[in-house]
Amino acid sequence: MTFSEFLVSHGGVFFGGLGVAFAVMFSGIGSATGLGIVGQAAAGLIIEEPEKFGRTLVFQLLPGTQGLYGFVVGLMIVGQLTIDMPLIQGLYLFAASLPVGFVGWGSAIAQGKAAAAGVTVLAKNEDEQTKGLIYAVMVETYALLAFVMYLIIANAIVF
Amino acid sequence: MQMAIVKMSNFNLFAFDSNRDDLLHELQRFEYVHFVDLDEDEELKEEGLKNVTVPESIVETDEKIARVRHAIDILQKYHPEETGLKAMIDGMPNYTFEELERKASEVDYLPVFEKLEGFASEVDRIEEEENRLNASKQELENWTGLGYPIKDLRTFEQSELFIGVLPIKLGDKLNEELVGLEYSHVETIGEDDEHIYLFALTSKDEADELYEILRGSSFSITELTGDGTPEEEIDAIDVKLAQLAEEKEEVEDSIISLSGHLPQFEVVYEYLVNRRLRLSASENFLATERVNLIKGYIPTDMEKEFTNAIENSGLDAYYLEVEKADRDDPEVPVLLENSKFTQVFESLTSMYALPRYNEVDPTPLLAPFYLIFFGMMVADMAYGLIMLVATSIVLKKANLKDDTRKFIRFFFYLSFSVIAWGALYGSFLGDMLPIRGLVDPAEQYQSILVLSIFFGLIHLFFGLGINAYMHIRDKRYLDAIADAGVWYMSLTGAIGLILAMFVPVPAILATIAKWVMIAGLVGIVLTGGKDVDGVGAKIGVGIYELYGISGYVGDFVSYSRLMALALSGGFIAAAVNMIAGMLFEIGAIGIIFGVIIIIFGQSLNIFLSLLGAYVHTSRLIYVEFFGKFYEGGGKKFNLFRSKPEFINLK
Repeated sequence: MTFSEFLVSHGGVFFGGLGVAFAVMFSGIGSATGLGIVGQAAAGLIIEEPEKFGRTLVFQLLPGTQGLYGFVVGLMIVGQLTIDMPLIQGLYLFAASLPVGFVGWGSAIAQGKAAAAGVTVLAKNEDEQTKGLIYAVMVETYALLAFVMYLIIANAIVF
Repeated sequence: MQMAIVKMSNFNLFAFDSNRDDLLHELQRFEYVHFVDLDEDEELKEEGLKNVTVPESIVETDEKIARVRHAIDILQKYHPEETGLKAMIDGMPNYTFEELERKASEVDYLPVFEKLEGFASEVDRIEEEENRLNASKQELENWTGLGYPIKDLRTFEQSELFIGVLPIKLGDKLNEELVGLEYSHVETIGEDDEHIYLFALTSKDEADELYEILRGSSFSITELTGDGTPEEEIDAIDVKLAQLAEEKEEVEDSIISLSGHLPQFEVVYEYLVNRRLRLSASENFLATERVNLIKGYIPTDMEKEFTNAIENSGLDAYYLEVEKADRDDPEVPVLLENSKFTQVFESLTSMYALPRYNEVDPTPLLAPFYLIFFGMMVADMAYGLIMLVATSIVLKKANLKDDTRKFIRFFFYLSFSVIAWGALYGSFLGDMLPIRGLVDPAEQYQSILVLSIFFGLIHLFFGLGINAYMHIRDKRYLDAIADAGVWYMSLTGAIGLILAMFVPVPAILATIAKWVMIAGLVGIVLTGGKDVDGVGAKIGVGIYELYGISGYVGDFVSYSRLMALALSGGFIAAAVNMIAGMLFEIGAIGIIFGVIIIIFGQSLNIFLSLLGAYVHTSRLIYVEFFGKFYEGGGKKFNLFRSKPEFINLK
């Protein structure tokens, strides 16, 4: 079996699997970084005002959703994997996984920064904390769009 | 029942200075008065009116507030308030304003306060003493190697003694320099990370020389206090510390024994804070020698209660003018009044901005959309049922603050929508139960996506409609056409054209759609620049307005989150179930862990779904919906009551 024969017969499932990995990996890295950024800001606040712990958690959770979208996309691709799927289907699924992976990566970090600023609002002007929350949520739109785009891509072509 | 911005009347009230206290007292009972600060009214001041001299009792009241607050702080420190379920159910005591005043007047808090303050300063004294002893103990601990009574160190007659500390990094240098001395003995008693503790004995003759060398190595002399060996001294200090701890406990017990008085202090505190508000209200007034001028706003339909309140205060004489507030006056304060259902959405409006007095109250307009969108994003029967049961129990059992009760009721209403959408999607804890809904989001997400965009269309058109309504109400017909009419035409035409591509329709309909769209777009260019001068500028601004179309594309796409959040929530729930399912196959231990994973995972997902739905629905309301018609920026109507901290004031 030459390499190209191997690629033709097993490349589909390989690239499909790579798609799962990309979707979960990059959005996961982004979310973890984002959570870390907010966590640091929140920990600083907790020193003085431990009673705000619950509300800082709300801020910290925001950049976590990108990783979840990536996870969901990963699951959806896993559902389509078969050992003998055509190469082109695998490549197609791989391509479809890219937006949620990369947009998730960048947007989670950006959202983490916005949410960390939101924690400052919580620290200094508690009554306006929801506004800080809304700012952070604005960022999420693009992660959602990437997720929606996966669904559209995955459904656009039937193999 | 009204569903809108409460109609306001402004009033001018002239009353004798001598009646002011009674008048304000009655008005505070009445509550619905918003005073206008006349301090900035230069016109009236030029006519010779002066600021009312703020009563001296305000200083006295401030002092009392500070004292009572201090007492509350002390009591709370040693007797932390109960938290947890029972405290939540019991909530804070309920009072009417009259009950509060009666209760506060019955309490003589001063004797208890004085006792408390005595105890508190006793605790302070003990803690100070403890700190002092701990510091000397720490000092002595470095010298435990000395093993010699401290008092004997002072009795050397033939020789000189130096006891002290020097930095550890200078230790070697010192040793070298000491080599030349004959009658000196230098001993290291102890060492820590930074210092060497030295004991140096020398003859009188060599003392000066030794001291110079020591000083050259940054040696500083330590005065050891006490008589016995350092170890004996430390033991003695420990005995004293134990005594102090006992004393402190006794005093603290005495404070705790007074904690039964806490509710009384809280009542007095609330009473005093309201009294202070009443006294400081006069800062808003102007006065001649004997007459006060008071201006403010009251809800129009409370005029009768307002005049009654003035009458009840037993004024000698007064003069009152009341007239309906000018609708376009930006100074008119805004109070919202909504039905029991829409009321819970008021917090969303005020979080964005209160409407101006001449706008509409967006609360009842956003409420149905919020309800639908929130449910669509969570969309799980089990999650909805959990919300329903939890909020019902809390609403039934617990004595809540007004704001908290509204917040819980908010989720109570939302739970119905969540259940309905969950049934529609056939999801119960994700895919836990094989319920067949009308649509399966995992398979038919395209239909849900179309539905989401369709909801967006209705939402945006509704927003534009409100914009048009406000313009037409105010007879600004051109504005109605420019801000809404031409956009309706463009959007409807464009949507018609797009639909014609996918659905077979007679060609004539597509042509009509095309021309409606073109007419609309031309209309946007022509009307967009209506507020600027010059033909060139008008056309320029008009074309720029056309760019707003791209904003609409963004708006529509934004509604895809209605599908995306439901889908991702559903999939995460399904993933939790899947992992648990794999564990179930292992056997008994697997089942235990599986159940734990389901409980933990689903709880986390409920929280994430609710939080996500709350903020994303808010975003759709604030950015997409409000962007079409709502400005906001009204002043808040300040009730003549202070917001209570420790009680519920009815």
